[in-house]
Amino acid sequence: MSDLLVVENLRQIFGGRNQTVAVDDVSFRIPAEPTIVSLVGESGSGKSTIARIILGLLQPTAGRVLYDGADIATSGRKWNRKFRGEVQAVFQDPYSVYNPVYKAERVLKLVIRKFGLAKSKAEAQAMMEEALRAVDLRPEEVLDRHPHQLSGGQRQRLMLARVYLMRPRLIVADEPVSMIDAGMRASFLNILQDFRDSHGISTLFITHDLSTAMYLGGEIIVLYQGRIMEQGATQTVMNAPLHPYAQLLISSIPTPDPRRRWDEDLSAAPLAEIGYGARAGRDRCLFADRCPQVMDMCWGARPRLRRPKVDAVESAQRDVACYLYE
Amino acid sequence: MPALLEIRGLSAGLQGRRSVTQVVSNVDLDVQPGEILGVVGESGCGKSTLATAIMRLLVPPQVLQSGSMTLRLNEGSSYDLIKLSESELRELRWRHLSYIPQGSMNSLNPVLRVERQMTDTLIQHGLSDKEARSRSAAALELVNLEPKILYSYPHELSGGMRQRVIIAAAVSMHPTLIVADELTTALDVVTQRQILQELIGIRDELGATIILITHDMGVVAQIADRVAVMYAGKIAELGTVNGIFETPLHPYSQGLIGSIPRESGQRVEGLPGEAPSPWNYPTGCRFHPRCPKVFDHCRAQTPALQAQESDRWAACHLYDTEVAADV
Ligand SMILES: Nc1ncnc2c1ncn2[C@@H]1O[C@H](COP(=O)(O)OP(=O)(O)O)[C@@H](O)[C@H]1O
Ligand SMILES: Nc1ncnc2c1ncn2[C@@H]1O[C@H](COP(=O)(O)OP(=O)(O)O)[C@@H](O)[C@H]1O
Ligand code: SF4
Ligand code: SF4
Ligand SMILES: [Mg+2]
Ligand SMILES: [Mg+2]
Repeated sequence: MSDLLVVENLRQIFGGRNQTVAVDDVSFRIPAEPTIVSLVGESGSGKSTIARIILGLLQPTAGRVLYDGADIATSGRKWNRKFRGEVQAVFQDPYSVYNPVYKAERVLKLVIRKFGLAKSKAEAQAMMEEALRAVDLRPEEVLDRHPHQLSGGQRQRLMLARVYLMRPRLIVADEPVSMIDAGMRASFLNILQDFRDSHGISTLFITHDLSTAMYLGGEIIVLYQGRIMEQGATQTVMNAPLHPYAQLLISSIPTPDPRRRWDEDLSAAPLAEIGYGARAGRDRCLFADRCPQVMDMCWGARPRLRRPKVDAVESAQRDVACYLYE
Repeated sequence: MPALLEIRGLSAGLQGRRSVTQVVSNVDLDVQPGEILGVVGESGCGKSTLATAIMRLLVPPQVLQSGSMTLRLNEGSSYDLIKLSESELRELRWRHLSYIPQGSMNSLNPVLRVERQMTDTLIQHGLSDKEARSRSAAALELVNLEPKILYSYPHELSGGMRQRVIIAAAVSMHPTLIVADELTTALDVVTQRQILQELIGIRDELGATIILITHDMGVVAQIADRVAVMYAGKIAELGTVNGIFETPLHPYSQGLIGSIPRESGQRVEGLPGEAPSPWNYPTGCRFHPRCPKVFDHCRAQTPALQAQESDRWAACHLYDTEVAADV
């Protein structure tokens, strides 16, 4: 069985006087079996750009995206229809997606009609109620409301109910929980896990919040300035990151446990930040100006993403782009 | 030790056409000198309103309704912030109080260099140009920024650096009390960690007291000494950070802490329902519609914040000895 999604050597350069390399030779795949893949990185690292390319909203400068074996850019109209049905987007605040004059009921009915999901009114009603229950919403509380009468968490779950009706194979979720409170966040993440386990729906989960990626499990991809620094099984990477950037990122998570506080003082470490004091050029490790273990060779050429060698032994389940492990 | 700030019965609300809708209700809170007090709760529970009320910076339609806020300074003087006039407040804010509002890193003036923005207020208050500049440079150092930042424009700085400039400006006069609202919410984790560690440094070096308002339980766990959990405009529970995280007493604190996503494979259940807005605060215990331990009494009677074991206060009928005896 071919992979569900293959992203091959994506590059995205935004023009203008100051060219921005937003995505720099990014490749990864989401397998056919239901999986959650988290794409993590600081803001500006290229996450949303990758999402937009995968959704077909942006034509990449180079590289291609294969969905179910076919290139999304060159496939025909019929295939496009299949793609639109099988790949669904969930954004940060879906408020903008809804027509403000439509009640929640209408939002769901439109989907049912557009995709011809129900044969009768009664069946449509039953489907809506099932979808709402699948995302922990009570039909009587939301169906009759306009989007602005719902809370952020409710709107976000209404979006998932809509997605649920369509039974996609892949959800592309760009920062879906960053606007909702912690209490609601857990239920949202649980729904994605249930979608995977009970309905075979995969998710590409985009976030700057590593703790949510950790909770979701599955696979993780750590981006930095448009490049993948480390990728692999979430648990492996989170428990023992190899790339110095991944180590910095993961050790900076504010663990919600006062007995496990940050130990050494990070503020004493070199403070060069992105966009400030950074040396120009990309033929190097992009993390070199912040890396505590930087070596001469790191400035010379870009480290390739590969199976790392730790103590001369290949470490399974992940890839790292760092000269320390070659 | 007497509290640096003793808040009693503080209520604030929103002035409507006919009546005031209360947002923050009857808050009692002691802030100890030199501590970092974390104030947490879901969004909309009144944290920012409380912060602005403490600073006496509410703007209409927000109104202060009642209460007292005694600020005791180490030179022995004490003030009820509620009773002070605008000019007395200005003087006190200048010398002793510092407020870093939510989203303030975007409030720098884009056409002025950092220097002007940091020194203008100092000069207005009578410092010489030279003094103002050296104070600003010293404050920048507290947040690990080089003095040459003074000559930059805001757009030349990253978000983390702009937030540091804001913090530096806020601490340049060595305030006694700093109230910081969602200080690191918009920042990446690495920058967040650095800034929070710098904040601890500021507390240690300047001996400042900090009220840190945040919705992020992780931030509180990492740097607060004590925690006040707010729900629907009231303090639900107050205690040491270890106490609150290890043995939360109030069902809301239990829900908040229980719903934090931790390790993978360990499923946690969310906190069902949502926090009410001030127009829909429930009767009795405001948490009762969401509380898994609700009993009849809760729907009618408002629980008061009462001392529990050492260093702990909770507002819940479960810990109310008289009520519990009735049940
Ligand atoms: N339409 C655009 N035009 C120019 N630059 C863009 C555009 N979209 C994104 N960028 C730039 O590309 C980089 C990556 O952005 P983005 O993909 O939004 O990152 P993330 O989602 O990780 O925050 C950033 O430097 C951003 O400013
Ligand atoms: N100026 C205002 N106008 C209208 N509503 C307000 C105003 N200030 C606060 N509120 C309302 O009061 C409640 C508490 O707000 P806030 O203090 O900002 O909470 P938090 O900081 O905990 O998110 C919210 O429901 C908010 O909408
Ligand atoms: S390649 Fe060099 S600079 Fe880059 S992360 Fe590895 S050691 Fe550090
Ligand atoms: S007073 Fe009652 S409803 Fe409120 S938190 Fe305690 S048990 Fe729950
Ligand atoms: Mg983005
Ligand atoms: Mg707020």
